[in-house]
Amino acid sequence: MKIIATYNIKGGVGKTSTAVNLAYLAAQNHYKTLVWDLDPQGASSYYFRIKPKVKGGSKQLIAGERELDGLIKATDFENLDLLPADFSFRNLDLVLDTRKKPTQRLKKLLAPLTQEYDFIFLDCPPNISLLSEAIFETSEILLSPIIPTTLSLRTLEQLKKYLKDNKLKHLQLIPFFSMADRRKKMHCEIMATLSEQHQDILSSTIPYASDIERMGWERMPLAAYARKSRSTDAYQALWQEILQLIT
Amino acid sequence: MPTTPLYFVLPENLTAEKFLKKLSKKVNFYIDVQQHAIKTYYDSFDWRLYNADMVCELNQSKTSSQITLIDRVTGECLALEELQDVPPFSAQFRNGCFKTRLAERIEMRALLPLCALPHQVYRLNILNKDQKTVLRITLDEYEILANRISLHPLKGYDKAAANISHLLANDLELSPTNGTAALNAALQLQGRKPKDYSSKLAIKLDPAMRADKASIIIYKQLLAAIQINEAGTIADIDTEFLHDYRVAVRRTRAGLSQIKNTLPPKIVAKHANFFAWLGQITSTTRDLDVYLLSYQQYQAALPETLQADLAPLYEFLKKKQVIAQKELADILSGSKYRKQLLAWEQYLRDPAAVKAKGSDANVPIKELADQRIWKVFQRVLKEGSAISESSPAETLHDLRKTCKKLRYLMEFFQDMYPAKDMKVLLRALKGLQSVLGDFQDYEIQENNIKHFSAEMMEDNIASDTLLAMGVLIQYLDTMKCTARNDFAEQFSRFKQAQNQAQFKTLFNR
Ligand SMILES: Nc1ncnc2c1ncn2[C@@H]1O[C@H](COP(=O)(O)OP(=O)(O)O)[C@@H](O)[C@H]1O
Ligand SMILES: [Mg+2]
Repeated sequence: MKIIATYNIKGGVGKTSTAVNLAYLAAQNHYKTLVWDLDPQGASSYYFRIKPKVKGGSKQLIAGERELDGLIKATDFENLDLLPADFSFRNLDLVLDTRKKPTQRLKKLLAPLTQEYDFIFLDCPPNISLLSEAIFETSEILLSPIIPTTLSLRTLEQLKKYLKDNKLKHLQLIPFFSMADRRKKMHCEIMATLSEQHQDILSSTIPYASDIERMGWERMPLAAYARKSRSTDAYQALWQEILQLIT
Repeated sequence: MPTTPLYFVLPENLTAEKFLKKLSKKVNFYIDVQQHAIKTYYDSFDWRLYNADMVCELNQSKTSSQITLIDRVTGECLALEELQDVPPFSAQFRNGCFKTRLAERIEMRALLPLCALPHQVYRLNILNKDQKTVLRITLDEYEILANRISLHPLKGYDKAAANISHLLANDLELSPTNGTAALNAALQLQGRKPKDYSSKLAIKLDPAMRADKASIIIYKQLLAAIQINEAGTIADIDTEFLHDYRVAVRRTRAGLSQIKNTLPPKIVAKHANFFAWLGQITSTTRDLDVYLLSYQQYQAALPETLQADLAPLYEFLKKKQVIAQKELADILSGSKYRKQLLAWEQYLRDPAAVKAKGSDANVPIKELADQRIWKVFQRVLKEGSAISESSPAETLHDLRKTCKKLRYLMEFFQDMYPAKDMKVLLRALKGLQSVLGDFQDYEIQENNIKHFSAEMMEDNIASDTLLAMGVLIQYLDTMKCTARNDFAEQFSRFKQAQNQAQFKTLFNR
């Protein structure tokens, strides 16, 4: 079992799209897969048409008063389940802070599920907070989508420094380019320089594409409504490259 | 919480089309898949899966072919495998969960198709307001059975399953059923029912019944067992047809010699000869079957460096088995055999046609059973007590035979005694039989492997193979000695006062 977090300090970079689409591909490969929607906005719950509602809210969840297993919902797709978000997740930081070892908390809650699933994707909210610290402790892979802009170089370096300073050695950072627009000269140039400076950036990139944007209308993973498209192929290539790295 | 019924049967006249129309007025759904399919149920001849509360079904359609093991009680899918053709033996399946679960249950028995049900499958997805699937339903429209529905709840949507189940039962007035109802109904059409064969004896006897009539009932059941296993033995479907066939033959022989003086001596003598002959002509094939079944155990007994060298022995045994099997099949298809079996069948059907009677024909069967079991039990005690550490092998072999007679007698008449007590005594007897059986079997195997090696020498086998067989003989000898050493302990356990008292209360009050 591997826990993969899609994380970036910034919002709107493609974290949720990545978690949802890669989880779908994993499930299609017969891996038992779970997505945990940790963002109070509930975007991944929305994509799977599942109510962003958790009985007892963040308090009871973090207190361990409810078994995680009982909160899981099957998606419409085989091998793919979801742990929905809840609006109360906006207080997750505060609730975590009441615990003795707040950053160990998610790991402990997830422990009983490790038998059942091959992959658990954590769809994270942006920011660096207590919750993200707990996510870093729990995950083995930090999958980070990067939009090729001038700012993103700084963001990536900040993240690397943070992981180093906090001695998070167990965590494998995997950055890749997201929403890349080949028609934009600037995007191409930034991708070229960044890839040179950071050899660990994956060679697969996710293009900026209208069919990916359409996920919000379709409310399902891309490959479920666009079986044959360049974007679907891009996610497939990305997933294969990641699998090579982590298995 | 009451469990939600997940299986329903549709009324005779309710077609799939009409049902779907009715359902669409109540809930929002779409048909995900609609296709022609064939469902074929599988089990071993002796219902090993069914007895373990499992059902094995192959579901074939244009797009897929899957075999599944299903929990008969909960309907839960225990293992699933994609495959086109179902091989007869568990060893021939791909490694994985399905193979493991199957092998655990059916062992050496072949997986046989029970019945095939052509049908139209509809897979429905029930949707909520967000067009999210909250329940999957399979509707099977059969050509020869009433249509059936099964619900497949989705994790986290138990309420939806409960609601739809309630709606099907109350608003649409469908009758709840279970996951194997289709199997049972299909078998019924063939005039069969689950567990219609078992190698165990279950003979119902009225204790006051005349002994000759009772013995005829017993022989008839044994004859049925011989006949039901005959075709599988001739076709060599798996080794257990011949095994069960031979058990029925041996039981018949034990009956003829042990249920004494109920039938006329001339009749007994004539048919006893026939069954002795049947025992003989079936023994070579059975012995070879046993060696082949034990082959893995043989191999495992060798050091790893020699394990592969034993392979020529397998080939040699297999060749011999094929020849012996062919000979056996020829005899069982021949007129000499058929005529004599028919004569026995005719006698059992109409014993009155033969006027003569045995001297004890009129004794109530319970009385005779008491006498015989008590007497043979005494013989077991006497023979066993006479065996010391230095007694020759023959004394143990003789005791083994006597134990078998006792076992068969107890099994024939089991129904007339308290089940619990019989179970305890039979278990004690089985323990004793098991060491005696091991002792003799290992001895025979040891000797035969020695003979085989001599035969194989003529084919210029590799020296390592001979070496491996040498080590194997050593192993068999050790096992034989272990059994011999265990005998005293097992016999004293059997002989213990508690068992003796129990035998006395049951059979010699
Ligand atoms: N590759 C892409 N091309 C076009 N639009 C995208 C792409 N990836 C994501 N989007 C859109 O961008 C928005 C933000 O994406 P999302 O995956 O929710 O990011 P995050 O989870 O990082 O906030 C969404 O509306 C999504 O549909
Ligand atoms: Mg998001």
